[in-house]
Amino acid sequence: MEGLFFNVNGGYVEGIVRGYRNSLLSGQNYSNLTQCETIDDVKLQLAPSYGDFLASLSPNPSTSDLASRMTDKLVAEFKYLIAQATGSSAKFLEYMTYGYMIDNIALLITGTLHERDTRELLERCHPLGWFETLPVLCVATNIEELYNSVLIETPLAAYFKGSLSHQDLDELNIEIVRNTLYKNYLEDFYNFINTHPDFSGTPTQDVMAEILQFEADRRSINITLNSFGTELSKLERRKLYPEFGKLYPEGSLMLSRAEDVEGVALAVSAVADYKAFFDAVGLSQGSGGLGGMSGGPADGKSLEDLFYQKEMDLSKLVFTRQFTPAVVYAWMKLKEQEIRNVTWISECIAQNQKERIGNFISVF
Amino acid sequence: MSGAVGREAVFPTRQSLGLMKNKLKGAEIGHSLLKRKSEALTKRFRGMMRHIPVPHLIEALIILATDITRRIDEAKQKMGRVMQIAAFSLAEVTYAVGGDIGYQIQESAKQARFRVRAKQENVSGVLLPTFESYTQEGVNDFGLTGLGKGGQQIQRCRETYARAVETLVELASLQTAFLILDEVIKVVNRRVNAIEHVIIPRTENTIKCLYRLLPVSLVQANHSEDINSELDELDREEFYRLKKVSGKKQRDVAAADAEILAARQMAAEQQAANPKAPGATAIPVKEVETVDVLGEQEDNDVIF
Repeated sequence: MEGLFFNVNGGYVEGIVRGYRNSLLSGQNYSNLTQCETIDDVKLQLAPSYGDFLASLSPNPSTSDLASRMTDKLVAEFKYLIAQATGSSAKFLEYMTYGYMIDNIALLITGTLHERDTRELLERCHPLGWFETLPVLCVATNIEELYNSVLIETPLAAYFKGSLSHQDLDELNIEIVRNTLYKNYLEDFYNFINTHPDFSGTPTQDVMAEILQFEADRRSINITLNSFGTELSKLERRKLYPEFGKLYPEGSLMLSRAEDVEGVALAVSAVADYKAFFDAVGLSQGSGGLGGMSGGPADGKSLEDLFYQKEMDLSKLVFTRQFTPAVVYAWMKLKEQEIRNVTWISECIAQNQKERIGNFISVF
Repeated sequence: MSGAVGREAVFPTRQSLGLMKNKLKGAEIGHSLLKRKSEALTKRFRGMMRHIPVPHLIEALIILATDITRRIDEAKQKMGRVMQIAAFSLAEVTYAVGGDIGYQIQESAKQARFRVRAKQENVSGVLLPTFESYTQEGVNDFGLTGLGKGGQQIQRCRETYARAVETLVELASLQTAFLILDEVIKVVNRRVNAIEHVIIPRTENTIKCLYRLLPVSLVQANHSEDINSELDELDREEFYRLKKVSGKKQRDVAAADAEILAARQMAAEQQAANPKAPGATAIPVKEVETVDVLGEQEDNDVIF
């Protein structure tokens, strides 16, 4: 039944996104890219999908320039989508931008804390996290003013309220602030797709719940792993875990008590997927340190790589469903991964480190 | 050799001979000091260049510099490798984090974790600065960066870059040492060359010339003490001669005064006796007497 009227409002957006999806780089494209000798070759290979946006690049551009142009294209396409979307779909797309907003606001908080001119920071803000009143935040000269204007001007007020006071912004590490906000954001998003009448009981709820649960678990695991050896206490750490997901509540509790990698492996062993990841990188046996892309694992995959792989698989699956704005979310994730892949490949080419060039995640 | 450098413009006297001899001695002492310094340097670096004979400071310094150049070369190559790895680990961070963390890192770094201590090493009078790097443990300003994702990559990247900076410090230490050593080599080279090829030959030349210009009897005297005594004799004679001349001159002046006085008295008497012819007799008498006196003086004065 949900498909009956979906196309009235959401059909066009979905159609556009499916078109965008077809321009994503395929395995064939990637293998062509890895054969390139210079960044110019890479540029040439990307021409069919990125044409106009790469045209203004200088010959042999830096990888960061290349990446920023590719991001420009993503932003332009997303802006078109959000302009076309209406009703609950528009709300859904807005939710997608909140994650970037959190990053932007964290950036401004850092700048204000160190008494920099925050106007200069506006250029560094992620364009997807841009909202009309973002420049207003630059007026604030101290952290209390900033806190008040964030509450008034931004859609993120709900995430600040209740969990962060303006003293917290001053005292807590910016990473803790960022992760607290992100936790609140994920919980809110999860709540939104589960309770909104347009989405509950639709494919949107099915696929997005799974993706968001995975996202929440991934954050919990990463925060735990990265907090070893830092001043972050277990109690503070626990506050950063999103309160949903496959690991919640038992796994989260065990994670909060974990003191080393084995503890984390034990905590996630209840979920088959994550257990497989930990087995694959050899963390559960306690052999070797935290594997990274340059680290110990034999096949060169790190836990982060496996998480990205899983995220891509989930995103790819979304396209098997119809009548849902979740395809936009999936397309965006795929596109971001594509930008990361191309950046990685061109970085390998620029630095002449071809032996690790295959370390990207190709989905199609 | 001696012809090209010429000699110093001095008068051939005993005093200047003495001066020249002192100068020669000084130059030789300087030369031997520089040589001794080179031996000290050789001893200092014996470990690494036992097989190379080092006869001279310059060569010791050059060998030291060559050694440093070799180490600079090694450090630079290491630098290249380490920087490559570091840049690549930054690429990994970009991949894992998926964004720019530069600003956050810059802002959250408050205390230096990696520090450099500067020291001075004294290599037989040449002060070489050395830089020593060490990490301040416990300073971990951006330990939480990338908490959500990419934290491990960031930490690893930081370690790689710390290694890169370590190599950079090592390189800086070597480069500075090399620059200073280069300067010292240039100065010492100039000094040694000046002593060896200009000052010593010229002084020797001057001394030789002095011998030639001094009286023949002295040239035959080979021993320097003889020469000295002869020269002393010469000085004494000269002094005596000057004294004699001045004595004679005083006597002449006194005689002339007495004559003038006598002439005036005579004139006064004549005027009193015969006022008509006052100067006619007095002047011829005076002229004749003056000529006689001069002739006598000349004969007496000539000693040589």
